[in-house]
This record gives sequence, structure tokens and C-alpha cells, in this order.
Amino acid sequence: MELRTEEMLLNIGPQHPSTHGVFRVVVKVDGEKIVEATPVVGYLHRGTEKIAESLTYTQIIPYTDRLDYLSSMLNNYALVQAVEELMNIEVPERAEYLRVIVMELSRLASHFVWWGTAVLDLGATTPFIFAFRDRELILDLLNEISGARMTFNYMRVGGVKWDAPEGWLEKVRDFIPYMRKKLKEYHQLVTGNEIFLARVKNLAVYDGETAIKYGLSGPNLRGSNVKFDIRKNQPYSIYDRFEFEIPVGENGDVFDRYMVRMKEMEQSLKIIEQAVDQIPEGEIQAKLPRVLRVPEGEVYTRMETSKGELGIHLVSKGKDKPYRLHFRRPSFINLQIFSDLLVGNTMADLPAILGAIDIVLGEVDA
Amino acid sequence: MADLLTRPFSWLNLLYISLAAVIMLGIVLFFVTYAIYFERKVIGWIQIRYGPNRVGPKGLLQTVADVFKLLIKEDIIPEKADKALFRIGPMLAYLPAFAVIAVIPYSEKIQFADVNVGILYYAALSSITITGILLGGWASNNKYAIMGGMRSVAQMISYEVPLIMSFLGIVIMTGSLNLIDIVEAQKDSTWFIFPQIIGFITFLIAGNAELNRTPFDLPEAENELVAGYFVEYSGFRFAFYYLTEYVYVFAMASLMTVLFLGGWDAPFGLDFIPGIIWFILKFMLLVFYLFWVRATFPRVKTNQLMGFAWKVLIPVALFNVLLTAVLKILNVY
Amino acid sequence: MFTKKRGEINVWGKGLLQGLGLTFRYLKEPKVTIQYPDEEYVLPNRFRGIQYLDPEKCIVCNQCARICPTNSITLSGKPNPDPEKKGRVLDTYEINFEICILCDLCTEVCPTEAIKMTNKFELASYSRDNLLKDKKWLENNNTNVREANH
Ligand code: SF4
Ligand code: SF4
Repeated sequence: MELRTEEMLLNIGPQHPSTHGVFRVVVKVDGEKIVEATPVVGYLHRGTEKIAESLTYTQIIPYTDRLDYLSSMLNNYALVQAVEELMNIEVPERAEYLRVIVMELSRLASHFVWWGTAVLDLGATTPFIFAFRDRELILDLLNEISGARMTFNYMRVGGVKWDAPEGWLEKVRDFIPYMRKKLKEYHQLVTGNEIFLARVKNLAVYDGETAIKYGLSGPNLRGSNVKFDIRKNQPYSIYDRFEFEIPVGENGDVFDRYMVRMKEMEQSLKIIEQAVDQIPEGEIQAKLPRVLRVPEGEVYTRMETSKGELGIHLVSKGKDKPYRLHFRRPSFINLQIFSDLLVGNTMADLPAILGAIDIVLGEVDA
Repeated sequence: MADLLTRPFSWLNLLYISLAAVIMLGIVLFFVTYAIYFERKVIGWIQIRYGPNRVGPKGLLQTVADVFKLLIKEDIIPEKADKALFRIGPMLAYLPAFAVIAVIPYSEKIQFADVNVGILYYAALSSITITGILLGGWASNNKYAIMGGMRSVAQMISYEVPLIMSFLGIVIMTGSLNLIDIVEAQKDSTWFIFPQIIGFITFLIAGNAELNRTPFDLPEAENELVAGYFVEYSGFRFAFYYLTEYVYVFAMASLMTVLFLGGWDAPFGLDFIPGIIWFILKFMLLVFYLFWVRATFPRVKTNQLMGFAWKVLIPVALFNVLLTAVLKILNVY
Repeated sequence: MFTKKRGEINVWGKGLLQGLGLTFRYLKEPKVTIQYPDEEYVLPNRFRGIQYLDPEKCIVCNQCARICPTNSITLSGKPNPDPEKKGRVLDTYEINFEICILCDLCTEVCPTEAIKMTNKFELASYSRDNLLKDKKWLENNNTNVREANH
């Protein structure tokens, strides 16, 4: 007997526990199977790019904090990098080291949130709390150096706002072995768990070629065995001085993306360790005129954030404000593959797949 | 106490029976209140938090406050819902949950009904709850709710099979479906957890699934279905669904204590401690286990859940039945 | 690349038990919660809370209002009442905390350190109107003021 079934249109979000903010996806489901999915974005759109056109460069920095608010330091850097590139500014050594330390701390913090929430989406609650406990330590460190817990506004064109307070570097140094121990616990709690493995292995597989076609970057790309990390392939700041590896996955499934991020945390710790050891004394801010006028020109700079390639396209007409500022937001571009990955999978896989892409709505909608 | 039912009818006896039921309801409600509190505490401790600690001393009144809040909330029935079914749903889910408690012997004396087919009664009644859950999911006229309801039916029906099969071994060993006989049999030999270890493990897993608790909490999977079948419920109707869940925790843990852990039987000859205390201790251990698992595991997927039931649990449980039967014939037991 | 160590036996269920062991161990681990309203949350000196204003020091240079990315500062000056002295003094000064993003730029540009950050961060209020803080309020907000702006 043929069973008469009907497809059902299900509207997930913008208020839904596992859409990580205000993301909406309209799925057509056949029972539990998803046959079609349309993501709808824009609920958090604030027009940052347009606002930036009427702000001076210093004023834009706090706005970049609010793009990917889980790793604001990285966004801060993206902007100052573009401006420095166009103005040809030599940044003092110590400032560069401080930048690298806070950026890697920020990357760790962002990955913790991802780890906690991605596993929370699979139904385990404890990892989330563990991740936030450790993130809290990072936020405390960043709070101490920048004066804020999430929206740091720490970097300045030509340097950083503050030097590290007394004893701060030691605290960072102490944090590293602690975190290494905790990472082992993370693996113990989640990575080996058979239920977890059954849920994420061979889920939402794509190969490297597909990933490149979609323009994916970051762990989403590296999970599919493409060794591409801007920190290595096109070193910016002082990343060429550090020794670290780029973890890649083999099969390009959710588990590989998970593993890439987990290994990346270890590499971040390694970078911080080296940076803390090598940091020289000295200035933290280059000598610059009070009003920054960026010479006429156009530049595209890019960097590796926790989500992927964050690019900045900056067009200047020689004023103190940009003529046009465009952010290539990795979360937004990585999200493009989402609906294609959903088709054929079940409802229960939806949060797992979304979690593995690791989006931040502040960045998706900008 | 159990002979109340067999005495000739009189108003006094009816009063006793009702009184006993009310007392039991009180005990169960008390348990549920503090089970929720305990669960939140245990999960809190595991998650390096304190858990509830603000309402009352050490947060002991937190659940009371929560329930009170639920009771005084506005009663909302969605406009497009099937009103009658929407109302019946929670009741239908709760009634059998309370009814199954009647057959469980807590100690030599404390038992409400000495039913000859005790476990069968349990298994039969507990399946009625599924209807209540499906009704609730269907009547809410909400897509998440109907998905949750369907998941729950599929899950409960699949897991009922291994659940029943896993205690068949005990039935073979004792030759009785009566729960008191089963406990007495364990007093004479050893607790059935040892000869029936396979049965115990399958029962533990199937029981967990039957309770809809993590890692088998698909019907209310928060991250996919928001809340599953009771997504549209609020106020006291929601409280009933919630209560059902915890009353089943009570019932399932009691049943497991009776079947596998020797009920009120004291281990190591420590008879001077009354049986009821032993019962409570064993019972708490099992309840703790449920909370512990909840704080540790992620949730499984629907297809994995079904595959696990039919491909792993049922064959294993069947094998256990077979093994027990063979050993019984060989007179090992 | 995620190969197992050699000699590692892998029985199904090992990971589950490992997880259970870890969570059991955590049962007695010290708690990290800060009982916030009862327990004070200590913030570092650089923390950017609500501003403190010293009207005496202000030279009405308007730099803070100009740098503010959200235009939340409005201020006005008046001629110095003491005819002997030159310059202007502050007349009104308001920060709208509905839109202030506590970015720290105003305190950074202030040449006389008239405006400084404090550690106070509790701004919750029942009405939006309460979030418009005037000169007097900002002047009275003088606890836990940051030592140096730079
Ligand atoms: S902290 Fe920033 S937003 Fe707030 S008043 Fe100062 S400059 Fe404006
Ligand atoms: S920048 Fe300082 S001195 Fe200038 S107007 Fe603002 S508060 Fe006054």
C-alpha cells in the first residue's frame, strides 16, 4: 500500500534555540527529512558599511567590534590592517606582538563559544558551561588589557591603545598550561563520545573543490583537506615569525570541521606561548598625525579570523573618512553552502550542520 | 495494607483507600518536587555551578515556587487547536503515570495493590501515556508539536519491546509476574542484577528511552523542535506533562529497584536498617544515574534511535531470554 | 591525521564511560559561579564603565562630542563668569546612555582628562528617560574612577 504523505513547510527561526541569534531558515520537510531549505538573513542588519562612510577611521574601530562580536579583536585588526596598508605605516614591534597575543586569545574565545554551542545543539549541556568557564578567563584577560569584555576597541591605526598592564603577560603565560589541560578534558567529554561520533561522522560531506567553489574559508575549508590559512599562505602582521601548523581534515564531514577547530585551539596556544616569550620592550604606537587622512587609493587586505577569511576593501579619496568600506564577512559567505548541505538530511542534523559552519549573526548581517 | 482491596465494601474502607491514594499522591508530588530540585543541583554541580540556591534555604523551595508560578499562569489554548483533545492530552498522559505506582512494593508492608501480573500491568498502563502525548502534539496544531508527538510515539513503541523483553529473563527465573514474588526470590538467592546483567543493561537503556530523557529526549529536543509535543502548553497543563515525566522517573526507578536490585532486601546482612531505607537508597542511586547521564551525553538521532532499538537492543534482549531459558533448563538457577 | 595512539584499544562505549567519569569527577569540583548581586564583581582598573565628569577641568573644547561615534554627547559652554579669567566654562553636559557604546573614545581625546571612565556599569532602569545623564549626575559618579586615561 502506498502511504499518502505530504510535505510540510517549517519556519525555523528567527527565534529558535539553535539558530544562534536571529537567523531564519524555511525548510520543507517530508516527515523528518529536509527536501528544501531557504535561509533568510538580515534580521540583525545595521548597515555598518554605510555608517562607516560617515565616520573617521578611529570611530569605525568600535563598530568593527560589533561584527563578529565573539572575536572582536580580530575584526579590530582587519580594519587597522587595511588603513595601515594604505598609509604605509610601520607598526612598532611590541604593538605587533600585543596584537598577535590578543588576537589569538580572541580566536580561542570564539572557538570556545563555537565548541560549547555546537555541542549544545546536539543536546549536551555540560560542554557549553565548561567552554564558557574557560572563555571567561580569556575575557578577564582581555578586559584587563583593553577595558572591556567583548567590545574591546583596543587596536588603533599604528598600534594599540594600551600597553599590557603589569603582570598581564605572566597571567597569559599561566593560562596556556591550564588550557592545555582543559582541552584534554574537552576531548574526553565530547570527542570520544560514541553518540557524538555517530551524529557527526559522515554528515554533510563536501570535498575541497566544492568548498572552494562556494568561497568557503577557515575551518570550513580546511575541514575538506585544503591547506589554506592566510596566516601561513599570506602572512600578515608578524605571523611569519611563529611556528605553528595548519590542521586539516580528511573527509570534509562535520566531524573533521570539529577536529580542525579543536586542533586550531592547540595551535593558537602555541602561538601565544611563542609571542609571550619573544615580546620586546618598546613603543606601542607609531607616530601619526592627529587627524588621519588616508591617501587616495584602494586596497583589499585580508586576514584569518576564527570563522575564515575576513577581507576589507577600502576605497579612500584622501579624506579622513573612507569613501567606501566593504567587509568580506566569512560567516556570511560560509553560510551559502548551508541550504545545500541540509537537503537530504533530517531535522536533527540541522543544528549539527549549522553548528559546524559556525556563524555569528552580527557578522552575517553586518 | 494491600488487603484493603479485598475486604468487603464499606464506606470506611473506601475512605481508607482514598486516603491511601491521597497520601501516595502527596509522596509522589513530594518526590517530584525534590527530584527536580535534586536534578538541577546535580547537573549544577557537574557544571561547576551551584544550582538553585535562592528561593528558601539552599534553594529548597525553588520547585515549589516554579510550580506555583505555573499554576497561577494564564491558561492559553491556541485558537486553531482542537480544544477538547488539547484538554484531554495532559490528563491522559498523567493518569497512567500515577496508576502504575500502585503495584510497586516499597517494603514488606508498604504496597497498595498486590497484583498477580504486576509487571504486565505496569507495561500495559504505561503505554497509554503515549496516547496522551500524541494527542497533545496533534491537538496543539503546531508543526513542532506534531513532530515531537510522532517522534515520541515511534520511540516509545520501539522501546517498549526491549523493555519488556529484558525483564522476561527474570520472569523465567522466578516463574512469576508478581513483583512481591520477584523480591522474595531475590532474597533467597541473589539480586537479579548479577545473573541478569544483560537484562539489566538493556532495561537501563530502554528505560531511559522510555522516559524520554537525555540521550533519548528526542520528543522534546530543544535544539530542533523547541520543546516538542508540549510547545503550545503553558500553565497547569504544561505542569501535568512535566509531572508525568517525573512520576515516570519515580515509577521506573522503583521498578528497576524491585526487579534488579532486590527491592527492600538488605545487602551484606545489614538487616537492622529497615527495608524501606534500603529501597530509597537503591532508588536514589538509579535516579542519580539518570541525572548523571543527562549531564554528560548529547542526544541521539531519530534514525539512530530506532536502529539501535531494533538492531541492537531487541536482539540482545532476545538473546538474554534465550540464555536464561537454557540455563533454567540446565538447572543452573 | 586524527590517528589513534598505538596500542589504544577501542571498545564501543569507552568514550561514553570516559565522559561519565569526567562528569562524576566534576561533581565535587569547586564552583566558579559568582553570586553576583551579593558578591561584588571586581573589575580591572581599565574597565570602561560609565563616565565621570569633572566640570572644573573641562575647557569646552568639544573634542569629546566630535569623536563620539554615536553622537551621544551634547554639551554647551558659557563665558567664564569670573571676568578676570579667559576661556569658557561648561554650562550643560549630557550623555545619552541609550546610544553610548562605552567605546572610550571621548575619554581618550579629552585633553584635560575632564571626562574619565569609572568602573560603574549598572545602568539598568525602568525608563529610557533615566538613561540621559546630565552634568550633575556625571559629576557625582565619582567612585572607582580610572586613574589614567592613557
Ligand atoms: S564612550 Fe564612546 S559612545 Fe560613549 S560618549 Fe564616549 S565616545 Fe560617545
Ligand atoms: S574633551 Fe574634555 S575638555 Fe573637551 S569638551 Fe569634552 S570633556 Fe571638556
